Amino acid sequence: MAGHADTAKDLAVAGRALTFLENGPTGQAVLGVVFDPGKPGSVAEKNAVMAALGGGYPAGAVTLTGKPVEASEVGSVSGVAALYVTHGVNYGAVGAAAKAKHLVTVGSDPACVASGACVMGVSTDPKVDITVNRAAAAAVGVAFKAAFRMMIHEI
Amino acid sequence: MNKPFLMAGAAGLVLLATSSAQAQSVDYGSLQQLFGEPVTTSATGTPQRSTEAPADMQIITADEIRRSGETTIPGILQRAAGIDVLNESAGQTDVNVRGYDQGSSPRLLVLVNGRQVYQDHYGETVWSTIPVQLEEIRQIEVVKGPNAALFGFNAVSGVINIITYNPKYDDTNIATLRGGLNGQREGSLVTTFKLGPAVSARLSVGGQAQDEWKPVGTVLPASAFESPNSLKSNLDVVAQLAPKTELRVEGSWSNVQENQLVGSTYDNVKTVTTSEKATLTSDTSIGQVQGSAYSNQMNVRYPFADWYNVIDVASLQDQFKIGADNTFRIGGEFRQNTLNTSPIGGAHVSYDVLSGSGMWNWAINPQLTTTAAVRIDDLMLSRSGVFAPGVPLADNSDWNRDIVQPSVNLTVAWRPTAHDTFRLSYARGVQAPSLIEFGGLQLPITPFPHFTIDLMGNPYLKPSILSNYEAAYDHDFVVAKVGLRVFYQDWSEIKSSITGLGGLTTNPTATTNGAISYQNASNSNETGVELTASGKIPGGFNWHADTTYTDVKDSLFTGVNAVIDQVAFQETTPKFRGNVGADWEQGPWETDANLHYIGDYQFYNLVTGDLGPVKAYTNLDARVGYKFKGGFTVALSGQNLLSERQKQTTGLEAERMAQITVSKSW
Repeated sequence: MAGHADTAKDLAVAGRALTFLENGPTGQAVLGVVFDPGKPGSVAEKNAVMAALGGGYPAGAVTLTGKPVEASEVGSVSGVAALYVTHGVNYGAVGAAAKAKHLVTVGSDPACVASGACVMGVSTDPKVDITVNRAAAAAVGVAFKAAFRMMIHEI
Repeated sequence: MNKPFLMAGAAGLVLLATSSAQAQSVDYGSLQQLFGEPVTTSATGTPQRSTEAPADMQIITADEIRRSGETTIPGILQRAAGIDVLNESAGQTDVNVRGYDQGSSPRLLVLVNGRQVYQDHYGETVWSTIPVQLEEIRQIEVVKGPNAALFGFNAVSGVINIITYNPKYDDTNIATLRGGLNGQREGSLVTTFKLGPAVSARLSVGGQAQDEWKPVGTVLPASAFESPNSLKSNLDVVAQLAPKTELRVEGSWSNVQENQLVGSTYDNVKTVTTSEKATLTSDTSIGQVQGSAYSNQMNVRYPFADWYNVIDVASLQDQFKIGADNTFRIGGEFRQNTLNTSPIGGAHVSYDVLSGSGMWNWAINPQLTTTAAVRIDDLMLSRSGVFAPGVPLADNSDWNRDIVQPSVNLTVAWRPTAHDTFRLSYARGVQAPSLIEFGGLQLPITPFPHFTIDLMGNPYLKPSILSNYEAAYDHDFVVAKVGLRVFYQDWSEIKSSITGLGGLTTNPTATTNGAISYQNASNSNETGVELTASGKIPGGFNWHADTTYTDVKDSLFTGVNAVIDQVAFQETTPKFRGNVGADWEQGPWETDANLHYIGDYQFYNLVTGDLGPVKAYTNLDARVGYKFKGGFTVALSGQNLLSERQKQTTGLEAERMAQITVSKSW
């Protein structure tokens, strides 16, 4: 389970990366943090992300605030620009619900982006690495800017 | 495919439609913040993280430039690994990568935001004419080895691409005043402003002057030298024309006077340059398309000749991805380069170059990437106008020549772990003759009464070809990084200089004069090793060290004297050069110091033209700065601090410089 310091770094990269979406969020935006209340690891990561976001986290052109979202409620979530998916939630269900709502999903578990539940996966240890699942991006209806796409891994 | 990104409306959610949401030009700053390292397009033409660029590239950032206290671009460049500098006068420096440096160094391609600022009359770079203030530079990208497959002719020893801030993303405003020893005085202003809701601009202007180094020990008296000075200005405008289309327009002017080593003596040379450039970038369904056109005009006056050079370049490129793993770039370029003949005028030498290029970057798997780039250049030479009386070549049709050459860059990069990178590369670069070498020079001399010799160009010169092989290894220890490079360079058809010290290259006949002209004189090869290391120590302390060893072997063509033709590269290339430096930042204080070492070498004596020794030397450059509140910074800096005067070349001795700089940014 990633420690608090790593989660803060992952969040910084995820937040800035969202600004490279075409028609992506700018200004104030709310990041929904998806967690499974029955999994202590997921709850701990959600708490770390909410703590890092605080009262407004500046990530490049966007300022993010957080809203905890239980995994079972992704299908009915509102008021969020994107979703941060913690380790251990049911990726299949969360991914499908997010696609139906056309919400970009991002997480730091490689399994999430590999499965397509996460449109984007970020890692910061030992250096910044970003992976985008093209099929998932297309299904949600989003695209990243050309310069960004040439500098990341796509699967 | 690109459906609008839907956002559920809610309290507290504000979507601002700013121009940055539809950016097309590379937002270097945001990408650098995202990836935690600089970003470049100088390796393949497509944006890449500096550690992933398939070229031997070192990026010098704006922070490093400011902390160094250097006041010139060559001063900054000498801190990079493997860079040779010949500081020939207070104004002039010749720079090259990994040896083969010489006066009027023609092997390095220098660009500002992709526009060449290297000058095509001699094929050299006059650094003081580059119309950029240090304070407006975002980063300097140093590519070591040929990158002609991207940049074309003359990107042989390396490429220096000076990237300025972009007024659309970077709000740079700074005024600087500097004064110091030897009459050094400088002032500059850089300011960024909006011309409309979707148009941003940056304007810079700066001037500098200093005393020339005292000519102790050279043949020329002090009165022969005039003080070097320069004045330059640059305007950079970026307009968002449509959500996916951006236009960038740049214009510049510079006026420079300095003493330059020309052949075997110093001349006071005055140069005025102007340039205009427009670049249109658009994200389309076939990729990111960029069209660019620029024109450089240069007027340069020597005591013996007056040249006016115009170069016009138009290019079009498309970059796109196919699938997840393949990035492509295709491009075409047309270039026209014209120079008048001088001092005997009445004619023009010019060439048109038509080029096509392609690049394919394939991420085979997360650890293995290959990059292949090819460019074909077709240079069509021509001449119009009259000839000096009695020249041996007196028919314009002698200039109807076509040179077609491919340039290639091939790299395989393997990253078995997150801490290790191995890179193997091969590159072929082409160095075309300059317009002066092709015939821009028409100088009759009369060594004896009624006996005229023509110093002239040679339309039959062959281009010089470089094949470069390199193996590289980088390891990231997190607290430190180390790099190892092993390289082999093979040069063919190296061109001679004209010194007038040897015999004629063409004998006189009953009706024509004898002539001395440029010739293809030699082949040469070089083996080298480079070691670099850098690291951080907690407490705001950074350090770096590098050393580069080169061993050059020349093989001269029959009848060539390496000294007279100035192709004695095995003697004039030092075997060792290196740097050790550190910087420390704490609160409002910043300090920086760099020790630069060059090993023994020989160089051409100004008077006799023979090779004379230049003993190994070390110079120390340093800066201490203090940042006050309100954007004021005061700094004390100096160069060549270890000695009052130091013999660094066979010309004027370099003098200790020290200066105080006051700047205000807002």
